[in-house]
Order: sequence, then C-alpha cells, then structure tokens
Amino acid sequence: MSKPVFMLALTGLLVASLAPVQAGSARTSILEKLQKEAGTAFSAERGKILFSSTHKGGKPKTNSCTVCHTKSPLKTGKTRAGKDIAPMALSKTKDRYSDPKKVAKWFRRNCRSVLGRECTALEKGDFITFMSNL
Amino acid sequence: MDNLLHNLEKSPVKDVRTVLVWDLFVRLFHWSLVILVLITGITGFLGEEWWLDYHVWAGYGIGGLILARLIWGLVGSPYARFSSFIFSRAETLRFFKELLRGRPSHYTGHNPAGALMVFALVFVLISITISGLIVLGGQENQGVLAGVVPYFVGEVFEEIHEVLSFLLLALIGGHIIGVFVESRLSGDNLVRSMVTGTKESASPDEFKHSKLKSAFVFLTVLAVIVGSGGWVYVALAELPPNGLIKMTVNKTYATECGDCHFAYHPSLLPANSWHKLMTGLEEHFGEDASLDKDVSKGLSDWLQKYASEKWDTEAANNLRQLDLKNLISITATPYWKKRHSEIAKAVFARKSIGSKGNCIACHKDARSGRFDDQQISIPLNQKEKEI
Ligand code: HEC
Ligand code: HEC
Repeated sequence: MSKPVFMLALTGLLVASLAPVQAGSARTSILEKLQKEAGTAFSAERGKILFSSTHKGGKPKTNSCTVCHTKSPLKTGKTRAGKDIAPMALSKTKDRYSDPKKVAKWFRRNCRSVLGRECTALEKGDFITFMSNL
Repeated sequence: MDNLLHNLEKSPVKDVRTVLVWDLFVRLFHWSLVILVLITGITGFLGEEWWLDYHVWAGYGIGGLILARLIWGLVGSPYARFSSFIFSRAETLRFFKELLRGRPSHYTGHNPAGALMVFALVFVLISITISGLIVLGGQENQGVLAGVVPYFVGEVFEEIHEVLSFLLLALIGGHIIGVFVESRLSGDNLVRSMVTGTKESASPDEFKHSKLKSAFVFLTVLAVIVGSGGWVYVALAELPPNGLIKMTVNKTYATECGDCHFAYHPSLLPANSWHKLMTGLEEHFGEDASLDKDVSKGLSDWLQKYASEKWDTEAANNLRQLDLKNLISITATPYWKKRHSEIAKAVFARKSIGSKGNCIACHKDARSGRFDDQQISIPLNQKEKEI
C-alpha cells in the first residue's frame, strides 16, 4: 500500500470508529444549548410525563406523543399515514437526537401538533433526557 | 378445385369411407384456441386486475395462432384452405334455404354456414387482439404500443375491446349451436371429427397434395413474417412509454416528504393542488408538517413542474379530477374512491397497511407513478398469514 492511500484508509477507520462518539458529542452540544436556555436541570421523570400524557390545545387526532410512538418508547411506532417510526429510545435507535436541524424540525412540528404550541427548552431537554435514560 | 370437390360430395352416396378432413395443424389450432380464449375470457371478464399478465400472454398466443392459421389457410391441406370454403352467394343462400327445410346438403369440409362462422370468428378475434394491444399501450403504458398510443385512445379502444368480446361470446354460442345442429342433421359427430380429424364420407376426392410441401411453404412464410414483424416489434418496444416523462431525482423530496408516508409521486396531483398543499403545511391532514421556507419553496417548484398535467398515465389522467371539497387529497378523488370501493375499512387498518394513503403497501410500483395492474397485491396481516 502506498503511503497516501494508507493514511487515507487509517483516517477512514478513525472516522468510522469515532462516529458514535461524534453523535454523542453532537447530542451533548444540543443538550448543552438547551440547558443554557432553560436554566433548570433536566428531569427524565418530567420527560416521561410529557411523553405519556394526553394534552389539550393540539390537533384533535394527535393529542399525545403515544398516538404515533406507542406507549413504550422502546417500541417501533407508526405514523398516522401508516409508516413505521424507529423507536424513540436512544438505546434502540443510536442516531437519535444528534442532528440539530432534524431535532429542531420535529420538536417544532410535533409540539405544535400535540400541544398546539412550540415546546420550551426545558420540555425538549426533559424529553431527550428521558429518551436517553431508557 | 373446390368446385370439383363440392360436386363430388353432392353426388349420391357410393361408398362410405373414412377421410382425413381436419389435418393435425387445424385440430391443434382449434383446441389451443379454445384454451387460450377461455383463459382470456376468464381473466378478462372475471379476473382481478393483477391477472392482467395472463390475459395479455393468452392474447399474444391467440394473435400468433390466428396468424399461423391465416397462412395455413393459403398453403395448408385441402380442407384447411380458405379456397375450399369460400362459397358463392347463390350457394350460401341455397344452403340456408335447405337448412330451413331441415335437409341441408352434405359437405365434407365446412358448409357455407360454418364457413361464414369461421370467417366471422377469425375477423373478430383479430380485431379483439389488435384493440387489446391498443388498450394495453394507451391505458397501461405496456406492450408494443406503449410508446405510440396516448391514454385517451386506449380508453376509447377499451370500449371497443369490450363490445367485441361480447360479440365473440355471441359468436361462440352460435358456433356451438351450429355444430350440434349440423351433427344432428348430417349424422357426423363434428366434435369428434375435430379431435380425430376424420369424417365418414362418401367422397372419392383424390387431392394431389404434398404434406411436405405445405409444411415447408408454411414454415418459410411464417419465418419471413415473424422475422420482419420482429424488427417492427423490437423497434416499437424500444420506444419509451409515451405517458411517462423523464424526471430529475429530488433527494430532498424523498426525505422531507417521505418521513410520515411514502413520498407521493408528483403525477398524482395537479400543479394547483401541490401549490395549495405546500403553502399549508402547518395544517397538513391534521398534523404540522411545516418546513423551512426555502426548502418548501424548492419542493413546491419541483412538484408543480412534474404535476399530473405533464403525465399521460392512467393514474394521472384519472386522479386529475379532484374532490372539490378537498383539493389536496388523492384519496378523496372520485376515481380513487371508485377504484378502492370494494376494499373494506378493516383492510386499510391492517398493521401491514395502516392507512388509505399508504399506496406503496398495495401498489409495489407506487414510487414510479405507474400503478400497473400486475403490481397490485394487498398484504395480509401478520396474524392472518399464520392462519
Ligand atoms: C408530519 C408528518 C407528515 C409529513 C412530514 C408530510 N406529510 Fe403528507 N400526510 C401526513 C398525514 C398524516 C397524511 C394523511 C394520510 C392518511 O390519512 O392516510 C398526509 C397526507 C398527504 C397527502 C394526501 C394523501 C391522501 O390520502 O390523499 C399528500 C398528497 C401529502 N401528504 C403530501 C405531502 C408532501 C408533499 C409532503 C412534504 C412537503 C408531506 N406530505 C409531508 C403526514 C405528513
Ligand atoms: C389496501 C390496498 C391499497 C391501497 C393502500 C391503495 N390501493 Fe390503489 N388499488 C388497490 C386495488 C386492489 C386496486 C384494484 C381495484 C380494482 O380491481 O379495480 C387498486 C387500483 C388502483 C388504481 C387503478 C389501477 C389500474 O390500473 O386499474 C390506481 C390508479 C390506484 N389504485 C392508486 C392508488 C393510490 C394513488 C393510492 C394511495 C393514495 C392507492 N391506490 C392505495 C389497492 C390499494
């Protein structure tokens, strides 16, 4: 193997082995940002309540996260249109909560659908914390 | 030759002999045709959409058989030749008069009534085959004519194909009645003749006929026709289907609009509907599906560029007529409702399907916008599978 190719392969390997760590650090930075905004420590317990409760104010057919995600975040959910949703628990779906744009998009959409408003930073942090501890 | 033949037959009975009337080709042709027509009839009148392939293949088979029969009618054995059963108008009229009196003259081959029936059947079968190819090409964008026949022409020919099929049913009925009547009156068992090929007849017809030569000429002509037809076929079949346009791939669409449901093909809604849908994503079928402005603008432009107006497929043509109360719904259109009216609510609710809008669960080719008949299959529930 020539030297540049070898270096390239080595770099590739390194990047590949670091990917989960990177997802992890991306998640940490998302949480850190939310933490700064919220000011209060996150609680998995509050996250669980947010996830499991039936809410008022949102769209009638989607009044709880569980409508699509099922009662257990460890299970595969289903959209109202019939498509599977990978489990929300981090232990089941490794790349969850690591892409800031995706996280922002789905919190915006689904909080509006379920709660009828955007979620606060505290709610978002609680939710991710709950999902990370399962 | 045929004059001689008929005169001989109509002379008083001298010695009764067993003669080979229907050669092997004619018999094979006849019974293969019966089987193929049965298949097309069953798949066409009673079959489900996804049986189309069998219908089409049997149809191609019928076309091939008729072509072979036409050639054999010119070069085949004496009784197989058209010239042996083309009768003058006078003779035909006389035969029908005799028939009315219940004492028709005896013919070893086809009598004038039978001859008329054969020509009618061949004519109708050719017309059905050709109209079928036009329907296939126009409506389904399949087959040799997919590249040349527009959708609306296919739709017109579907009616023609249907009317001709009923006409064929009537002719077949007439043919069967005719066979039984003639068998009664003549004493020949015509059904058996079509199996064994022979009839008891007082006919010292001595044809000078070479089987070898017939077979040789037949095969040569068939080879020339199939060979030259093959070129046309290949050339036509290589044309791209004319209802489907080339579309640039849009990865953003596949991810942004493929999260909650499979990404609907742009040909399923008109441009106005896409515009309306894309400007109302905050209230999207009971959910918030909002996107960043620039992303949704790009997707909206792309969807409108490839909207249903641009396509000439069965789905695009029919779904263009919207439900006026719900301009952005595919499943609310009258055509969609009509085509899916026989599917029970419980079927859509199956775990494997989930909702009416999950086209891809039942239409394997939903992503291409084709919605071919052969690609339909309704998945069972896990539980139902186990039973
Ligand atoms: C947040 C989830 C979500 C997203 C994202 C989403 N949709 Fe939908 N969409 C739905 C739901 C739920 C339905 C209703 C489906 C049903 O009832 O089966 C629907 C229905 C539709 C229908 C009508 C289907 C029918 O049943 O007639 C179209 C068309 C459609 N969506 C297009 C889009 C497009 C285009 C996008 C991308 C901009 C998109 N959707 C993104 C959830 C979503
Ligand atoms: C539960 C399964 C199922 C689902 C889901 C479904 N279809 Fe169908 N569809 C069928 C069946 C079955 C037929 C054939 C009906 C018949 O016999 O005429 C059909 C027929 C059609 C046809 C006519 C096809 C032809 O060539 O005759 C079109 C177009 C079509 N569906 C479009 C759609 C679209 C668009 C969707 C999604 C919005 C959809 N279907 C969802 C089962 C389904």
